[in-house]
Amino acid sequence: MGAYTAQARGVALGILEYRVNVLLGIVATLMQLVALLAVWQVLLADSPVQGFTWPQMQAYLLVTFACGALVSTNSDFRMAFRIQSGLVALDLVKPVDYQRSRFAEALGGLWLEVVLILIVVTSAAALLGGLTVPAGPALALFAISMLLVVPLKFLIVYVGTLACFWTQSYMGVQWARIAVMSLLSGALIPLAYLPGWLGTIAQWSPFAGLTSTPALIYIGRVGFGDGMMLVAVELGWVIVLWFGARLLWRAAVRQLTVNGG
Amino acid sequence: MPPIVEARDLTKVFRRPEKDPGLAGSLKHLVRRRFTDKVAVDHIDLSIEAGEAVAYVGPNGAGKSTTVKLLSGILVPTTGEVRIDGLHPQHDRTAIAHRIGVLFGQRTQLWWDLPVRESFAVLRDIYGLDAATYRKRLARFDEVLDLGEILPTLGRKLSLGQRMRADLAAAMLHGPRVVYLDEPTIGLDLQVKDKVREFFRTLRDEGTTVMLTSHDLADIEGFCRRLVIIDEGRIIFDGDLGAVKDQYARERILHVETEQPVPVEAVRLALPGAVITEGETPNQISVRFDRFVLTAGHAVTALAGLATLVDFRVDEPSIEDVIRRVYSGEILFDAKSA
Amino acid sequence: MRIYCRLLGAHLRALLEYEADFWILAAATVLMQVVNIVFLAALFAKVPSLNGWTFWAVVMMFGAVALAEGVGSLFFEGMWRLAWQINMGELDYFLVRPYPVVLQSSSALIGINGLSNIVVGGAMIGAAIAHSEIAWSPWRVAVGVLLLISAIVIKLSINLATNSVSFWLSSPSPIFAFAVHQVGDLARFPLSIYPAALKAGLGIVLPFAFVSFFPVAYLLDEGSNRWIGLLTPLVAVYCAAVALTVFKRGLRRYESAGN
Repeated sequence: MGAYTAQARGVALGILEYRVNVLLGIVATLMQLVALLAVWQVLLADSPVQGFTWPQMQAYLLVTFACGALVSTNSDFRMAFRIQSGLVALDLVKPVDYQRSRFAEALGGLWLEVVLILIVVTSAAALLGGLTVPAGPALALFAISMLLVVPLKFLIVYVGTLACFWTQSYMGVQWARIAVMSLLSGALIPLAYLPGWLGTIAQWSPFAGLTSTPALIYIGRVGFGDGMMLVAVELGWVIVLWFGARLLWRAAVRQLTVNGG
Repeated sequence: MPPIVEARDLTKVFRRPEKDPGLAGSLKHLVRRRFTDKVAVDHIDLSIEAGEAVAYVGPNGAGKSTTVKLLSGILVPTTGEVRIDGLHPQHDRTAIAHRIGVLFGQRTQLWWDLPVRESFAVLRDIYGLDAATYRKRLARFDEVLDLGEILPTLGRKLSLGQRMRADLAAAMLHGPRVVYLDEPTIGLDLQVKDKVREFFRTLRDEGTTVMLTSHDLADIEGFCRRLVIIDEGRIIFDGDLGAVKDQYARERILHVETEQPVPVEAVRLALPGAVITEGETPNQISVRFDRFVLTAGHAVTALAGLATLVDFRVDEPSIEDVIRRVYSGEILFDAKSA
Repeated sequence: MRIYCRLLGAHLRALLEYEADFWILAAATVLMQVVNIVFLAALFAKVPSLNGWTFWAVVMMFGAVALAEGVGSLFFEGMWRLAWQINMGELDYFLVRPYPVVLQSSSALIGINGLSNIVVGGAMIGAAIAHSEIAWSPWRVAVGVLLLISAIVIKLSINLATNSVSFWLSSPSPIFAFAVHQVGDLARFPLSIYPAALKAGLGIVLPFAFVSFFPVAYLLDEGSNRWIGLLTPLVAVYCAAVALTVFKRGLRRYESAGN
């Protein structure tokens, strides 16, 4: 594991060089938080809608922000560039596993994201007048769910980036991924608001684990039993995607060798 | 007639932020901004007459490119002013653009994703050239620069030599009266260099004013009559290229091969004032002398009296040697003009 | 105008070389707007209005932002490259050509995704108009067109001004402009939902509210201060003047590369 720890360490130390980019990545998420807080404050001022109260929605949006800020250091751009320019061939000859290396890099950037999340969430909570923290078991489940967001988001981004082996433009793939992610994860609007069929699809999709699962557990919209189930689905997707990504990677490398880099 | 290019008291100072590395350094810089000033061009006066071909030389970082950028209006001078054909580069940018052509050897102006022919056509439209003039110019450039195989090639797929030829044509397409050529032969192989140099000569012969900066002084010899040397932002010499050679390249070296070994002491006696060096074999000898003190013919005659000559050769220093000696401080010009 | 099209067209051809990418980009942009519409539809299915603003009014605001952004990407994407152009000395040749530097810069790229944003944004505005009860008169149509053009000019001017900041910053990527662009997304919602500080920010400091909210409010004849929408053309002129001034001032500071 030495090699991976070293890679994570490298990113963790080097990330300050890219601090502005990291901050920027978070500006978009932050603006969404501001807009949605304003929207829901107006909508929920008098009465709850679809069972969400204003304090619940505040907490929901803050968890959404945290989930959006995690694993957002844009290392996918670097990976996309290396694939498109053919530099990825150099990565192939390194005696380390490609997927684990990228994961290690994602973990390396995590500390700065966590710091930024803590700053934003505490100041937002202070502005909004406090935040209710769930009771013990729910809090533990929430923590597990948040931890799972890291590999899950990494894998979704990673799989999306592998598409660069087949297309020239990464922008399009990235935008499509962001669009799908924001809707089906519940980051834009809680899944309960979506039309029934779409809500069901979203709930069982890998995207729900990115935001909806931890957020619903935090605000207590799901009980402990249902929460366990949602976390199990989240974990299931992490496992499926981890191995699915490996299959995709193998096909991608075959593609690379067929095209001669 | 007034000069076509005129610079008075031209100075360019670049401000560079002084920043310590890392986050702490950046933060510190935000609070207390410190700068270092670098004077790239230092009170330069220069005027170029229409039709002149001027060589502008100097060591790396002497301010050559900065001068070219000031004279073409790319940079705004810190003090002093520039006039091109009486016009102000910043105020009359469009009018000046029609009069000047610029080539930066290190950088292309071609569109990288277009065939060269299309790049030219875009330039034609930007400069508003009529079809007949455009065709005529392109045909003429093709004669000297051999553009045939280049025209259908994408900008990004050109070799360096092809790119430079295309860029030269691009810089001249609108028929500018003044061209600034900044390192136009950098990185080219000899064959292409010859082509490019021939192109310079056609420009000059057509009456275009040319200012040429180059590291390769072979670009200059036989092309420019006027030499301007810049060092540390200041013009240290401005005058006739031939005069420089007369004054500072007076030295000649005579290499002689003889049948029998030459008595060096005897040669020294026969040719006082010359420096005698023994060659690799006892039959070889070199004589270094000032051509205003001694002629080559005189030296050969003197040597022929001492030994039977098999072969001899006279080396003249090139302008390159002179300028190298200027850079190294061996030659100091006391006056601005020789 | 003809030369501008020529400069843009130069890139269009290269872009169409990768046809698959073109479709992926187009599809992705459409998808992003569809997601926005689904979001709004889901929201308004549960509530009748947002601070008095109906579903269609908000769709129109979203559409106006999408349209303005689309025009920016399709015709002026090069602005986003300004930071790079400054740092790499790419402006050198722009400066010696007889064509405005700002236009050479803004035409240096083409964002084909702009096309789908224009189409979808236009469709959103169109649908919103169809569902509104505007009493159309020639005057109102003329004002509507003028407001739309002004809104686009404001968005472009903010883009230009913020990207021109790169003349002062040394970063080769348009960090500042991008951050401001993100702030602009706030203006897709009715300005009236925000706290006072944000209202001032989006209405005066970075007048994104004039890209969507104020002109839409005027056209739909809704909201409390609908007359402000009529100021949009003035704001546009002001923004354009400021942006061009910032650019010109920046250009004087331009130091090329390699010194």
